[in-house]
Amino acid sequence: MDADALIQAIASSADRRAFAQLFEHFAPRVKGLLMRGGTPPDLAEELAQETLMTVWRKAALFDPAKAGASTWIATIARNLRIDHARREKRSRLSQVFEILEEDEGPEQPDAVLAGSERDARVRVALKGLSKEQYRVVELAFLEGFSHQDVAQRLSIPLGTVKSRLRLAMAHLRRHLEDLR
Amino acid sequence: MNARHLASDETLAGFSAGRLDEGMSLVVAAHLEINAASAKALREIEAVGGGVLAQGEAVPMLTSAEDALARLDREPGEAPVPVPVRAVEAGLPQVLQPYELGRWHPIGRGVAMRRVHVPGAQARVFMLRAAPGIWLPEHRHTGNEWTTILAGAYEHEYGRFGRGDFDEANENHEHHPRVDAVEGCTCIVALTGEVRFRGWLGRLLQPLVRL
Repeated sequence: MDADALIQAIASSADRRAFAQLFEHFAPRVKGLLMRGGTPPDLAEELAQETLMTVWRKAALFDPAKAGASTWIATIARNLRIDHARREKRSRLSQVFEILEEDEGPEQPDAVLAGSERDARVRVALKGLSKEQYRVVELAFLEGFSHQDVAQRLSIPLGTVKSRLRLAMAHLRRHLEDLR
Repeated sequence: MNARHLASDETLAGFSAGRLDEGMSLVVAAHLEINAASAKALREIEAVGGGVLAQGEAVPMLTSAEDALARLDREPGEAPVPVPVRAVEAGLPQVLQPYELGRWHPIGRGVAMRRVHVPGAQARVFMLRAAPGIWLPEHRHTGNEWTTILAGAYEHEYGRFGRGDFDEANENHEHHPRVDAVEGCTCIVALTGEVRFRGWLGRLLQPLVRL
């Protein structure tokens, strides 16, 4: 499945079959991701559906040079989760995220790796992590837990969390190196 | 000039996942807006998120693609609009757009402060502008003090911090910053917990920084 092409088909011709394919692939994964992060099943279902609906609505904004399809969809799911969690709190954080995303960013001194290529490399690199490293990466980098919180959740010493993360990040960045 | 003080991966990941306090997040966002190295590190962290999504375990959906399409037919949603809230003053980071800024007011010789109103935050957020060459009072904190340098520079026990640098001072750090002798310094700061100043100038400042 070429997710980039499916999103582009939605953008160019409101392609409902492309949407169905994307939905079948990504919605259950978004739901799984949210549930592993502690979102209750009902809410995870709702947010997963909304994530894919947002993909449809914002398909024209998808830019594979910035982020590959999986990364783009993961950030949409994240934004919806944040919005939901902060809805009552008058938070403007999602606006801050949008401003940063729209911003072209500071000038890049070296070549920027296309988002899709970065995604592909990360996928390969993740396969090389041990189960333990993978879980720590997931909690720390995806869920954004502090190292202290990760240690508590997994009942392992803080030093172990730090060393697993350091090794995992070194491994991941080695795969991205020549693209930097 | 190369910026050398970057936000840690832990901080960037917490920011990216929306787990940080909104005030702390705003100072991180200002850093990301002007620091290319941290912006790249954030993109890598987000790509890890994408990778974990792509190969993570799927949990079957109760609703189908047809349900979602039917909802989209009923609620097409607004066309995506950018979020121009208010123009931000020249020289300030764009990420400050959604927030109201107070007026500059002097809080001591050579130092002025300006409040940033972040209604959803626990942390106190403010901008600080200091004249060239002055010493800021020595202080330690009970919480975190995160700073992004917007212009000029200062220097303390942990190095020199210039435009785009991020100064991540956590509990028990003790600081005695000296402002660049030529350029002065303007920065944005988010603060949790208490700050304790030392010395006579510090005692004068103490009531003022409670904001």
